[in-house]
Amino acid sequence: MEDWRRIDIDAYDPESGRLTADDLKPPYSHTVSLQELQPTIQQLRSYTSSGDFAAAVELFTTDPPYNADEQAKSQYFSGILEVLTQVRQVDIANIVKRLDRKQQDALIKYLYKGMSIPEGQKHGGILLAWFEKLTQVAGVNPIVHYLSDRRTV
Amino acid sequence: MSQSLRPYLTAVRYSLQAALNLSNFSSQEVERHNRPEVEVDNTSAELLLQPMHIARNEHEQVLIEPSVNSVRMSIKVKQADEIEQILVHKFTSFLEQRAENFYVLRRVPVPGYSISFLITNKHTETMITEKLIEFIIDFMEEVDKEISEMKLFLNARARFAAEAYLEQFVY
Amino acid sequence: MSDIAAQFKLVKGSIYSHCFNQDRSLLAITYDTDCYVYKVSAAKQPQLVAVLPDHDKTVTAVDISVHGRIVTCSQDRNAIVWEPLSNGTYKPTLVLLRINRAATCVSWASSGYKFAVGSSARIIAVCYYEQENDWWVSKHIKKPIKSTINALSWHSNCVLLACGGTDGYARVFSGFIKGLDTKEQVAGSPWGEKFPFGSLVREWYQGAWIHDIKWRSSIDKVAFVTHDGSLNITDYTDDIKSVDNPEGLPFITLCWINDHEILAAGFSNHPVLYSEGSRGWEVSKILDSPVKSAGKLVASTGDDEEEGAFGMSALRKFKELDLKGKVSQQEEKSTHVNSITELAAYKESNNNVTQVSSVGLDGKLVIYKL
Repeated sequence: MEDWRRIDIDAYDPESGRLTADDLKPPYSHTVSLQELQPTIQQLRSYTSSGDFAAAVELFTTDPPYNADEQAKSQYFSGILEVLTQVRQVDIANIVKRLDRKQQDALIKYLYKGMSIPEGQKHGGILLAWFEKLTQVAGVNPIVHYLSDRRTV
Repeated sequence: MSQSLRPYLTAVRYSLQAALNLSNFSSQEVERHNRPEVEVDNTSAELLLQPMHIARNEHEQVLIEPSVNSVRMSIKVKQADEIEQILVHKFTSFLEQRAENFYVLRRVPVPGYSISFLITNKHTETMITEKLIEFIIDFMEEVDKEISEMKLFLNARARFAAEAYLEQFVY
Repeated sequence: MSDIAAQFKLVKGSIYSHCFNQDRSLLAITYDTDCYVYKVSAAKQPQLVAVLPDHDKTVTAVDISVHGRIVTCSQDRNAIVWEPLSNGTYKPTLVLLRINRAATCVSWASSGYKFAVGSSARIIAVCYYEQENDWWVSKHIKKPIKSTINALSWHSNCVLLACGGTDGYARVFSGFIKGLDTKEQVAGSPWGEKFPFGSLVREWYQGAWIHDIKWRSSIDKVAFVTHDGSLNITDYTDDIKSVDNPEGLPFITLCWINDHEILAAGFSNHPVLYSEGSRGWEVSKILDSPVKSAGKLVASTGDDEEEGAFGMSALRKFKELDLKGKVSQQEEKSTHVNSITELAAYKESNNNVTQVSSVGLDGKLVIYKL
């Protein structure tokens, strides 16, 4: 071992525990798989086709599946994206007004997630319209909550 | 297209207001050092906050990465064709070479973006946060206008020069 | 603006921490690598009487004990105790902290014989004076702290120490020093029976960074403010009540006003008063908040001397139209132009705080009336 100077000495010190990104997430009892989410995804699709967007938004902003695996999360998100893009501009404000604090936090997580992936960026205009209405109602509070909340959606 | 500009800039404004709450934080890794936690290879994940993407479409995006004492904001400017790509590159490198005078500008943009800002707690202590945010929003508005203007002038000059040259061949 | 009792611009830079002594005649503030001591007299600009220059790096916190001793801690891993001498100067004594990172906060216990220092080394050092060797020594509390400690607060029984940091946990430790503290101090405490030094008495997970934590010893409650913009109050039943900042931005500091009221301040540049009513903790008043008024007649207050008797003079209005293309809204700014970093009780009468002092990143000291 020639490179003595670049050894990470702290890694050998048992007491110098550093917090990793996983440590910060609360421990989950089990990971939710895609099958378990399917009923909720079906429910969302049925709300979308029937036009009951308010109920669909209520559904996906209450108890988001933080403990699902990546594949499940992305499928779930495609369902949500369908709902968000099909709501008419004029209805957005009413739906957003009826959400409570936790639901607003969940909604903003989905909006940020949407804008970070290419499928969501295609509908950037609509996601931004949702964002604008949400900040008109709730101000900067949901964003400040989003920053410190390590649970990813 | 310009109808989504207002919501885009409002979203960036609110996200910056939430992210720009910085404190003087001494390094946990190296003693007697005080460095922007967003820029270092961090082993302490608790010091970094959730990154925020704000996208108007696939070609225009903003990435805001906050941390306890610094915020890095990267902007991807709209580049429709090759001429605009060259113009944006020249414009941003002109600014980046003078980054010291800008204080908040980063010399190298984050990979995948056109230009990056790094705002640390030293900046928020000496400058008013509202005005910093105004500056960045104005910058985003102006950049698009400048690039289009430059492209127009470029095309106008090119046409003029071509006309002047080719006239001598007309009989 | 009637919320302000006094405001003074002290230095051209940021003040991270300040402290008044018992009788409010002296004020100590941190400024860059020094600590400035001012003589305070009612309604006049404080006068600089001493500069304590022994630190190499930014001084992060200062505190004055009931006996008048000043302790300062800084990012150079040291803490210094300053003894006041009869001629008005101060004699420094280095404290053996034995930490290998910056010290972030310091707090004297109410007895004045020991103090606790929080640090970026994930250690709390409880320091006391050792007579045989004439210096201040420290005992460390390490487990289970995983990240920098931002704030500390002693209970009035001088044993229970509450702390909060960037790992998202608010904890209560025991700071019992054998030989200095007696068991009678904690007899009958609802928090437990035995308190050996360094034992974790309670732990609450909040998730976001904790910026400030304060005891209300009379009712055994702890309040802390976090980076997600909330104020949390809890007690020995582990029942955490949480309220948000109506303006969204996080709070950095808080101060108990009485058993049912808390004043919190932070990045919004003005304090918010919360009170506990029948429906729980709620926002009761927003002090010193900026008010937008578009050019209508505004009674002039002490702050806008330039504007003259009317809200927006005609000359200014047309000048702005010419320059900017629109008329700017007349904004009354809050007194602090940058974040407020520390609140402290200034005047108290029968267990109710009537005036609160605050310092901020703009170098101002502002005293608010409640």
